[in-house]
Amino acid sequence: MNYTKNEVLLDVKDVSLSYDKPILRDINLTIRNIVRPGLDQGQVVSLIGRSGVGKTQLFKILAGLIQPDTGTIMIGVEQQAVEAGQVGIVPQNYLLFNHRSIHDNLRLAMKHVTLESKEKDALIQDYAVKFDLTEHLKKYPQQLSGGQRQRVSIIQQVLTGNRFILLDEPFSGLDALMIDKVMDLLGRVATLHEWNTLVIVSHDVENSLAISDTAFILAREKDKEGATITETLDLIEMGLAWTPGIRENRQFQQVVSQIKHKI
Amino acid sequence: MDIIKSVFRPLTQIKGRTSITLVVVEALAALLAWEIFGQHGLIPTPSKIMVAVGRIVTSAYFTDNLFSSLSLTLSGMGISIVLALVVSYLSLIPVFAPVTRFIVKCRYLTLTGLIFLFTLLTQDGHQLKLSLLIFGIVPFFVTSLLSIIDSINTQEYDLCKTLRMNHWQTLLEVVIVGRLDQVFEVMRQNFAIAWMMITMVEGLSMSEGGLGTMLIKSNKYIDLSTVFAILVIIFGLGIFFDYLLKQMRYWLFPYTKIEKRS
Ligand SMILES: Nc1ncnc2c1ncn2[C@@H]1O[C@H](COP(=O)(O)OP(=O)(O)OP(=O)(O)O)[C@@H](O)[C@H]1O
Ligand SMILES: [Mg+2]
Repeated sequence: MNYTKNEVLLDVKDVSLSYDKPILRDINLTIRNIVRPGLDQGQVVSLIGRSGVGKTQLFKILAGLIQPDTGTIMIGVEQQAVEAGQVGIVPQNYLLFNHRSIHDNLRLAMKHVTLESKEKDALIQDYAVKFDLTEHLKKYPQQLSGGQRQRVSIIQQVLTGNRFILLDEPFSGLDALMIDKVMDLLGRVATLHEWNTLVIVSHDVENSLAISDTAFILAREKDKEGATITETLDLIEMGLAWTPGIRENRQFQQVVSQIKHKI
Repeated sequence: MDIIKSVFRPLTQIKGRTSITLVVVEALAALLAWEIFGQHGLIPTPSKIMVAVGRIVTSAYFTDNLFSSLSLTLSGMGISIVLALVVSYLSLIPVFAPVTRFIVKCRYLTLTGLIFLFTLLTQDGHQLKLSLLIFGIVPFFVTSLLSIIDSINTQEYDLCKTLRMNHWQTLLEVVIVGRLDQVFEVMRQNFAIAWMMITMVEGLSMSEGGLGTMLIKSNKYIDLSTVFAILVIIFGLGIFFDYLLKQMRYWLFPYTKIEKRS
């Protein structure tokens, strides 16, 4: 496959976090801009670990919502320390403002975008058509299904103009068909812009690997407290990235079952 | 037959018509029993009370008294909710938090001990009644409002941060605008407290009249059927306002009418 890995977009160094016990230790990871000729290829990275290992905590650290005990998170081509608001988040339960209609929820995300009011509405309309939400724009969040709310949540974050979007368990609670739809949606978001970077935090090995170009395995090592990154998978080098229907591939399935044993 | 069975089975959902029928039948049965067995008791029977209600409602002084009570309650509620809202919102600013906590604890102060102080501080009967009312309601309002603010999911604040709102915008979006419907609900629930207190404070300064004054005067003459008639009127009005506020909430905040899914 023809691609290069260029400048660093996200650099996590020596991050650790403890509450009464160590949760995370020595987390180091780097995400680089992937360039493919003729494409606006963004990055899709997953952080995979079992339930309770500290994924959500790492998610919040990456989003700048909590400060780690040690370590730094540098973000963007300028490599500045992360601040809340620079990274979009789609939390585990797809939270939206219940007192606003879907349209207004999306509009709120564009407060800082410099566009005319009409252009903003047109943009929302655009995304609504693309992602199957036109008939729901006037509804309130509680009138939507979980999957629909998740799509709104993702689009909301795309509309803020953030290049980084973190997603906590984007596949949980969805049926097989919806999972395919979300994967398709994420794939399309990733190719909207060269620098768009999706970080998926999940315990769902199969689906996370299927759309990622890189995967980090978060686990506890024997006799050590606190989770760290025990393995990095370069799915592009393995020839398993950017391939629709990869879940049927034998080699892919082998990798999935290996990883399942490791977490 | 199935219907009869179903109303005795625990945890059974009954439909609108059946539940209304139940209410009506039970109320009629209770009234009938009261009418029959209460003939020679101390408490007047429903028919006598209804006659008294009719007499009071058609009397010349009733509208004045009703209006006096209503305007006092509404202005008291209005001022109280504004004060309570200001105090509750300020509680989110660390400097003001101790003051708020103190006000909440004032629920445990009894008004009776403070009446003398309030009499000295206020200029006339109207002001005395109004300030007692406000002093009585605000702590309850603040308590309910603070529990609403407390129950806001921290993720909602996180969402605001990722949408790049500053602290003030977050306060406006999540706490103020986002919870306005619940403020309305608090108002509805605490209207009962205001309505209960109104008769009490009206007894303290009778010059302006009011339902409470009427109640106390009839009590003095041991005119029990009038006392009960006034109670029925007060009860009915309370229920009516409760209903009105509920409908207004649906109308103002249509999203509160959506059936909640867990
Ligand atoms: N505020 C807190 N105080 C103490 N311990 C905490 C706190 N928040 C989380 N933890 C602990 O940190 C660990 C990691 O929690 P986290 O929510 O990150 O798990 P997770 O990997 O996201 O799990 P899941 O897949 O079930 O969502 C857990 O053992 C949890 O008990
Ligand atoms: Mg989690």
